[in-house]
Amino acid sequence: MGDSHIVAVEPADNVATAIREVSEGETVTVDVGDDEVVVDVLEDVRFGHKIALEDIERGDTIIKYGLSIGQASEEIDAGEWVHVHNVESNYGRGDLAASGD
Amino acid sequence: MTDFLGYERDDGSIGIRNFVPIIATAPYANDTVKRAADIVDDAIPITHPLGRCQTKPDVFQTYRTLLGYGTHPNTYGAVVVAHAGEIVDGDELAGDIGETGRPSASINIHDEKGVMNGLKATVNAAQEMVQDASAQRRQPHDISNLTFGINCATSDTTSGLCQHKATAGAAWRLIDQGGRAVFAETPEFFGGEEDLAERAVNDEVAQKILDYVEDWEQRLQETGYDVRGAQPTPDNMDGGLTTIEEKALGALVKSGDGPIQDLVDYAEKVPDGSGMYIMDTPGHGAESVTGIGAGGAHFMIISTGQGHTLSNAVMPTIKITGNPGSAERVPEETDVDVSEALVGDASIDWATDELWDEILDVVNGKQTLSEVLGESQFAIHRIGPST
Repeated sequence: MGDSHIVAVEPADNVATAIREVSEGETVTVDVGDDEVVVDVLEDVRFGHKIALEDIERGDTIIKYGLSIGQASEEIDAGEWVHVHNVESNYGRGDLAASGD
Repeated sequence: MTDFLGYERDDGSIGIRNFVPIIATAPYANDTVKRAADIVDDAIPITHPLGRCQTKPDVFQTYRTLLGYGTHPNTYGAVVVAHAGEIVDGDELAGDIGETGRPSASINIHDEKGVMNGLKATVNAAQEMVQDASAQRRQPHDISNLTFGINCATSDTTSGLCQHKATAGAAWRLIDQGGRAVFAETPEFFGGEEDLAERAVNDEVAQKILDYVEDWEQRLQETGYDVRGAQPTPDNMDGGLTTIEEKALGALVKSGDGPIQDLVDYAEKVPDGSGMYIMDTPGHGAESVTGIGAGGAHFMIISTGQGHTLSNAVMPTIKITGNPGSAERVPEETDVDVSEALVGDASIDWATDELWDEILDVVNGKQTLSEVLGESQFAIHRIGPST
């Protein structure tokens, strides 16, 4: 059994949500579907925030609830904190529409 | 069959409260409404910045919203206060409220020759209605008469993992007994719209869901800016939500996974048939809840992550959280704390039971925390410019 306070919702998810304070240097085991994924935590992750379960390339899809919640805006290593500094949304991007991207 | 004690209306609806709103048709009547509601204990002020110099889509939406409050199941009768001649017409509004068999009165400040006489006329009308309302007794009625409102508030990552599941569980418990539920906040379907459309009872409703989501996406793109900051909000992001998609996929959990009967426009009446409905509203909590109130939901579950004052004038709001930090930090904004189902050993079924028990108490008359504290907001979603 993995840590019940680090939650991956669906088997396809590549991030998990911490529902406790997680510290840099911890090694955590996360239940992802039927698998157990072991991750070395690379930085502190606050209650409610997300941890990468695997290495994620820039531009890769961030998956939670089994669906896309955006894409990596930079390379993210397994065990890193995943949030607004390294993930971009694919919706409501008037800035991209305005710049023609 | 589960019964509750409610107030019978001539139009067949059953209220869980017996409110007397005093409704301003335009901002120039707001102070008269507020002063009258200060004087008349138990009268509820409905004030807003709209109702004059609006384009037609906004006029219709403002009228529909105000009428929804005047004819809400929890409304005994209503006093409408206009400043002068407005495009949202006070006499017409009071007349349409009266059509449902509710007592109604129309006061025009100019016709009364100024604010002092206007205030006196408003107070007298409200005073009589409040006293008559207080004489009405609750009678037993089947719980299938009830409409369950659902809204998020300051979501965080706990919302989709815990409290939204309990909210969905309780909503479907009411639907299974013949009632109905309504959730909203269309921009908070982003990323989950295809799964949501698959739950529609037919292709027409499925297409409607996709079209409304596309329309919101278009409107946000036309701003020329990234929506982040507005969606998700700074407090959402502080709670761990990274993108509108993540917020949305969590938000959709509160509707469960059963069939969607239909999607109605902002402030439109929720249909009588049993089942789960959607109302098209923005993610802006006060605007969304105001629309759902106009749609006739009897009570509102505010499923919150970080805690919120969000509440409503005619719908009691029951606030539920699964975030143990929020339950501790803002206890007066936490009617139901189910955090044990997230961080402890309790189950989601337990959380659902906790919420359901509170709902049964509230529909029978127990006041929610926001009712006791006199908290409420009223914000009509506007579409276009003033003119």
